[in-house]
Amino acid sequence: MRVGVFICHCGSNIAGTIDVAKVAAETRKIPGVAFATNYMYTCSEPGQKEITDAIAREHLDRIVVAACSPRMHENTFRKTIEKAGLNRYFLEMANIREHISWIGLDKELNTNKAIEEVAMAVSKAMQDKPLFSSSFKVNKRVVVIGGGVAGMQAALDCADGGLEVVMVEKSPAIGGMMARLDKTFPTIDCSICILGPKMVDVAQHDKIKLYAYSEIEEIKGYVGNYQIKIRKKAAYVDWTKCTGCGLCMEKCPTKNAYDYFNFGAAPTRAINIPFPQAIPKKAKIDPKYCRQFTKGKCGVCAKVCPTGAINYEQQDEIVTEDVGAIVVATGYGLLDQERLPEYGGGRYPDAITGIQYERILNASGPTSGHIIRPSDHEEPKTVVFVSCAGSRDKSVGVPYCSNFCCMYIAKQAILTKDHIPDSQSYVFYMDIRAPGKGYDEFTRRAQEEYGAKYIRGRVSRIYPKGKKMIVQGADTLLGTTVEVEADLVVLATAAIAADGAPQMAEKLHISYDTFGFYVESHPKLRPVETNTSGVFLAGACQGLKDIPASVTQGSAAAAKVLSLFSKDMLESDPAIAQVNNNACVGCLKCVKTCPFGAIVEDKLRDGRTVAKVIETVCAGCGVCTSTCPCGAIQLQHFTDNQLLAEVSTICQM
Amino acid sequence: MSDVAPKELRIVGFLCNWCSYGGADTAGVSRFRQPTDLRVIRVPCSGRVDPLFVVRALLTGADGVLVSGCHPRDCHYSDGNFYARRRLEMLKQLLPFVGIDERRFHYTWVSASEGQKWQQVVTNFTKQIHELGPLHEKKEKAV
Amino acid sequence: MSTEKLKETIQKVFPDVECVICWQEGFDKLHTTPLFITTPDQTEKVVWNPLCVQNLAAYLPSMKGKKVAVVVKGCDSRTIVQFMQEGLIDRNNVVVIGIPCRGVVSVKKVLAATGQQPIEDVKLSDGNIIVKTLKGEKTLAIADVSPGKCKTCQYPTPVIYDFLVGEPIESDKPAESVYDDVREFEKLSLAERKAYFEKEFGKCIRCYACRNACPMCVCQDSCIAETRDPHWITQKMTPEEKMMFHMIHSVHLAGRCVECGECERVCPMDIPVAKLKKKINSAMKELFDYVPGVNPEDKPPMYTFNVDEVKIKEHKL
Repeated sequence: MRVGVFICHCGSNIAGTIDVAKVAAETRKIPGVAFATNYMYTCSEPGQKEITDAIAREHLDRIVVAACSPRMHENTFRKTIEKAGLNRYFLEMANIREHISWIGLDKELNTNKAIEEVAMAVSKAMQDKPLFSSSFKVNKRVVVIGGGVAGMQAALDCADGGLEVVMVEKSPAIGGMMARLDKTFPTIDCSICILGPKMVDVAQHDKIKLYAYSEIEEIKGYVGNYQIKIRKKAAYVDWTKCTGCGLCMEKCPTKNAYDYFNFGAAPTRAINIPFPQAIPKKAKIDPKYCRQFTKGKCGVCAKVCPTGAINYEQQDEIVTEDVGAIVVATGYGLLDQERLPEYGGGRYPDAITGIQYERILNASGPTSGHIIRPSDHEEPKTVVFVSCAGSRDKSVGVPYCSNFCCMYIAKQAILTKDHIPDSQSYVFYMDIRAPGKGYDEFTRRAQEEYGAKYIRGRVSRIYPKGKKMIVQGADTLLGTTVEVEADLVVLATAAIAADGAPQMAEKLHISYDTFGFYVESHPKLRPVETNTSGVFLAGACQGLKDIPASVTQGSAAAAKVLSLFSKDMLESDPAIAQVNNNACVGCLKCVKTCPFGAIVEDKLRDGRTVAKVIETVCAGCGVCTSTCPCGAIQLQHFTDNQLLAEVSTICQM
Repeated sequence: MSDVAPKELRIVGFLCNWCSYGGADTAGVSRFRQPTDLRVIRVPCSGRVDPLFVVRALLTGADGVLVSGCHPRDCHYSDGNFYARRRLEMLKQLLPFVGIDERRFHYTWVSASEGQKWQQVVTNFTKQIHELGPLHEKKEKAV
Repeated sequence: MSTEKLKETIQKVFPDVECVICWQEGFDKLHTTPLFITTPDQTEKVVWNPLCVQNLAAYLPSMKGKKVAVVVKGCDSRTIVQFMQEGLIDRNNVVVIGIPCRGVVSVKKVLAATGQQPIEDVKLSDGNIIVKTLKGEKTLAIADVSPGKCKTCQYPTPVIYDFLVGEPIESDKPAESVYDDVREFEKLSLAERKAYFEKEFGKCIRCYACRNACPMCVCQDSCIAETRDPHWITQKMTPEEKMMFHMIHSVHLAGRCVECGECERVCPMDIPVAKLKKKINSAMKELFDYVPGVNPEDKPPMYTFNVDEVKIKEHKL
């Protein structure tokens, strides 16, 4: 074994507080180290040439670079030694910059620590084995989970890029939250007018297969080769026959069904088409409210349907789609008003949420765009908007900012004035967060042009008094408490993770944070990738964001998918677990503990049961290695022997 | 024991690559001062840390062992740190039974952005080990 | 009487299996030894008495693939349940003959009480064992010479069986007493505990009898104590290496040790090897409310997890 060690000065970053010459000198004394030197900037071109030259000249077979963090330059130096003819996994790095030279000034202690860290890296390197990638085919189809604006953008970009796309949307129609909006800030574009064409594009694109009112049942496989089971939920209407004429909805006798699309702003029929521009424009029966299901007698819709599309016996159906990549665009949810008892906890009909107000403002909404109070259907003259209803509040469990409420409140204040010219809006705010293009100007417009009165302070309590709602709050700029008698109160309830987000994450083998938002690979540099190969994120499910940001991420995710599929074959990462069949006793503890299900039971020719690692699924965590009692399964590049060598080197120095 | 005793005691740290090693890097980038005793062994995941590595270290010369990984729920590999948490807690209860002060072993969760927390962990744990003193008698350096 | 019933049950079961594992007389009157019945005439040799100490369930994993019947006491039956939790046996291929037990005899304790003399004769009656050596006869109460596990036995009746030979017995020992010895030991100071284990494990000759007798140790020739790859321990006879071996064994049994006591029974140096395992078991009970070898649907706690662990609090420095 001939180990070459290269100690980097990194200018004065390392050499300033570490005697690099001494480290090299001491390292030369270690048995097995054939060559040790120090260099100014090892990652530079001449620095890398030093390494390749030394490999050839000194016949080195393992390399240790003592420099910055391996998280920085491990790949750089792996490529370097590969160019010199060595297997890329013969490289180890000792972090003597972030972990030593930058955190202390005592040269003697730092130098000693560097010598010891290098010695550990040398003992690990001496046990490095050559590792080789294998190639596997990739299925160039993609599934997009979620039919909101981010998902639709991702689907369209992928489809336009030539890929086959499967879109799975859990509600009966695509469009997501954006389809529910009346207008969008800051241009006051009609939301469904700009979204509608996109929805039609998705429905009509010959490369996009849409499963609406369907959910992901199971995901098996690995990047390039997923088998996805999709549950097509029973709508009790045969969608191949339904024309979306709406006659059933007109005649349905049950008028008090919960309207999911309108967030309960008004009731709907038990059989309904969610909204006029719905795609697919098909009816669905809600069995919780339908008399045929709850009482066993009605059947009116079946009688009036001109195409005979109603089918009360319809069952859920499971279909399988094989794809190579997954884009997750499952969006967000909204905090239940119940969690805000100071604001009525949902008991007061005239204290509504932002989305409910949005539906009331909408011309195709339950009130045909007339702003009316839910209690007595009268037109309100004083509307109070409450920002941060739940957001930025540790006591409610939502310490973060919901991103878009400041903007939509300004928009709703403007629209209120448009609809009711003699109305007066008040906005209680803590801060006005308007960072986008034209956003700040928009909020000023609401105040200056549309006369919305912005009060800087929080609302402490809302309660009814006669026909009015009393909103008690503070005005911190005036330094006083305020009370506003409102006709209508709109609460900008906190946006939260979508319903079922953790369960979906588990199916996908991706992580989610304390709030249920999915964790990206790197918050700054890789916002649409996850740490699971083949699964990409787009939109609010990764973190709350407004429409332009969601569309951006949709396109970004599509770009990532297209880049993943740009080759016909993918290379697997070889630093994965490997089973030594001679040592494996087939107890299968590793199979049960693998977080990715990457290990399966296998039978050898002699009948013995052993474990087998599926190379392409193994992510290289090593839980199997620490589980196996006999050390038969070892995570390559971090084997027990290697870690034990490091422990014994450092404990016996 | 290192050459620079009694200034330093032997503290071994197992840091998960994705979170805690990154957190230590962040602390370095932010130039947060720390005592030099700690020697870092990088592992891909805290779930890779077999409790027996900790035992091995303590029995063969370490005065203290630190294990740090991603916060539960944030594991890069989804579930690795859930296993680590159970196994290391079991070890924490076993060590005092065999006469090793449980304060010589500490496991914690530090994410890649928590440079300040990392500085505190290292500083406080090093202080704790120094208060407990060396675990092994000073060995004569082998010739 | 029970012996007759046991023989009957074995004869009934025998045609359906390839082998019946039970006990027969050993090399002297104080010992029994496992018996593997493959022909009907061997049933004659079957015995059942408080000298039947061996955990016969330990043989099951090595007989996977064959249809086998095994006779188990309460403590042994927990081994079978633990095997089921880990998938180490095929339940359909095992016929469990359960036999309720009021306690067995520790041969070591009897020999200690009778001055390590060669045994001439042994009689068992009314909860007593009467031992005849060259030096004379001694009557000992079985309760006084039973191993520690019998004094806190919670499962005198097997927890799983296809046939039960005899009437079920309820445990008369309080559940909290199971870990009394752990709590007693924890009253010692850290230094005292360290000294205790240094002394006890100092006697260890690395014979690996405890590992060989342990039913949960299925790694056989692949055991890392002997294969040198990975290099967890060396063959040096130092206190650290001996301690390391016992720590490895105990940690590998975390959440799996059913406290059958075989390890302590077979140790030639009288080391209390089960102490560490009992401590880990008491931690498993406290942290995860888990008792090994009781419910076949349970998952051993070290091979599973909860997203929220109620009993594990984050440690602060």
